[in-house]
Amino acid sequence: MRQLSRRDALALGVSGAALTFIGSDERASAAAKEAADSIAQFTGGKTAEKGKVSIELPEIAENGNTVPLSVSVDAPMGADNYVSEVIIVADGNPNPGIATFHFSPLSGKAEASTRIRLAATQNIIAVAKTSKGEFFTNQKLVKVTIGGCGG
Amino acid sequence: MAEKPRLKLPTEAKKGEVIEIKTLLPHVMETGLRKDKDGKPIPRKIINKFVCEFNGKPVFTANLEPAVAANPYMQFRAKVEESGTFKFTWTDDDGTVTTADEKITVS
Amino acid sequence: MSRGGILANCAAVVLVAAGSLFVAGESDVLAQATKREAPLDLKDDASARPWKRYSGWPTRDYSKFNTLGNLASPSAPKEPRKITVPITGDAKKGAELVADRNRGGSCLACHVMGPAGGANLPGNVAPDLSEIGNAGREDEWLFNYIYDARVYNPDTVMPPWGSHEFFDDQEINDMVAFLKTLKSPAVFKTELDDPAKRPPPVEKRDNLDPIENPAMWAVDKAPELWKQKGATGFSCNTCHSDPKTAFKTWAASMPRWEPRLNKALSVEEFVTRHAKATTGESWLMETDENRAMSVYLHFLANGEPIKIDTSSPEAKAAIERGKELSARKVGQLNMACTDCHGKVANNWIRGQWLGEPKGQYDHFPTWRTSLLAIWDIRQRFQWCQVNIRADELPPDAKEYGDLEFYLAAQNEGQKLSVPGIRH
Repeated sequence: MRQLSRRDALALGVSGAALTFIGSDERASAAAKEAADSIAQFTGGKTAEKGKVSIELPEIAENGNTVPLSVSVDAPMGADNYVSEVIIVADGNPNPGIATFHFSPLSGKAEASTRIRLAATQNIIAVAKTSKGEFFTNQKLVKVTIGGCGG
Repeated sequence: MAEKPRLKLPTEAKKGEVIEIKTLLPHVMETGLRKDKDGKPIPRKIINKFVCEFNGKPVFTANLEPAVAANPYMQFRAKVEESGTFKFTWTDDDGTVTTADEKITVS
Repeated sequence: MSRGGILANCAAVVLVAAGSLFVAGESDVLAQATKREAPLDLKDDASARPWKRYSGWPTRDYSKFNTLGNLASPSAPKEPRKITVPITGDAKKGAELVADRNRGGSCLACHVMGPAGGANLPGNVAPDLSEIGNAGREDEWLFNYIYDARVYNPDTVMPPWGSHEFFDDQEINDMVAFLKTLKSPAVFKTELDDPAKRPPPVEKRDNLDPIENPAMWAVDKAPELWKQKGATGFSCNTCHSDPKTAFKTWAASMPRWEPRLNKALSVEEFVTRHAKATTGESWLMETDENRAMSVYLHFLANGEPIKIDTSSPEAKAAIERGKELSARKVGQLNMACTDCHGKVANNWIRGQWLGEPKGQYDHFPTWRTSLLAIWDIRQRFQWCQVNIRADELPPDAKEYGDLEFYLAAQNEGQKLSVPGIRH
């Protein structure tokens, strides 16, 4: 696995240290709006009910390059009623989409983890859809830490 | 360097048990936001889809965006009712497909 | 060493081995039987020359300031400067300057400063300045403290922002004007922003789980390199057919003093010089092959407590030199290892926790999640230097050898766990 130069990695990870302008109001609200649009598209305009969805993220991420994320939904996974999809979006990244998880009764449990990239401190929002057409949601704030040394 | 998928799941389980599966694929997950030394954008190249099937039936699928970190890691669950084979498939933007499989004995 | 020379050596070794008792379980016979010194290339440098800074690192030239190899920094002023008082400065500009990370990290790296920088994860290496406007400090004192704090406190960790040319006089005036407006405690958006309430980080990842730590690829790769035949027709395996047994504790005994080179030799430099002298492979320090071998050799000794040989007079002298080097102020920021990892250890520098020397060595080489790369301790030294705006030395510099020797001595008893995983 080729080693990345620091600049490569910073750009790839789009780490918080480099992108101070993401904090600007205009940019922040554009990203938040895109995230909201993604969610509206997923739910067909329906409002998702807050609850049942748990999001695990560090409170402070050591860097924006690889942040562990776990999502689980406390809901049945039977053949007639199961969590079919969960979308995960971010409200402060250059693009809101992170991943869509598709579950089935064979999943046994609607739970999945991965590692994500964060451009800056922001909210991660998860919306779950069940086979019955219900929607549940939750969100969590992640702070991306700021390095001590500067450039 | 070794670029094969890494898998972690039990080789045996009881009928009806919900097991945990972990996978890791070495991959740069190029976001498309980076620029090279001359300022030209480096094209996006990511694993955009991960599928886990058991005896041919879908168990878990993930559609991935560039916000998923390099060396994509996936952890998820599977309920096993019978012995068989798990098949894992990773699809790259450029069409390349990487697969791996693992047997499990269920009693 | 010529191929003929190596063949002759190995032939001699085989003859001796054949004649010696074959100890049950000892399979590294060829290397062990003769108790010879490991052959080392003594002629060439162990890293690229001329040494070029890694791509993507800051490119500034810091030759005007001390390095671990060279003294160049201007001396500290003896007296505070006389300033025209009262100071006229733009407090609004001052607020921006104190939060500007491009000027050597920003004041917020060390100080909480009221609303500056949105009170976003400030550090607490140094006093909270949120109420300094009420502390009755004279303008001249505030100016000189920023310009060069050494005139008031010779032991200070604070960089000499003026005399080392980070800020000009007007900028310092602006910052003083801002400081004078600070009259109430900082208001933090979340409890995590308050360094007094932020819990120290705890490393919980399983660094030896290949699914958690991509650096474990090196543990897969190294056995391939081990069997790879070099220009001489030999591989590591030729003499070391059972590394798992033979090197069960070796890496925990490194670095060691090497009289043939008159320096402290680390695992990475040993790999370069020993490979060159035996297989002919050129595995310079800071190449992927060298890092993979270093990870592997440390990995084989995981769980073993670090214990280096400090008995010889040369080893003791290396420790003394290492100790001095760790206390030398270097770079434009004028910092020593002992500043961050001593005087102000166990505090937050902006959003990062400063640790003591003990515990900072047993996990090298380590995976770095922020860079998707394996770093050995020498690259870590180099990065610390460049970040405090000091020119780094080549990885095989004897000064780094002394420093690592001292660091290993300070970490005696710590058990190896390599590859590590860190930010």
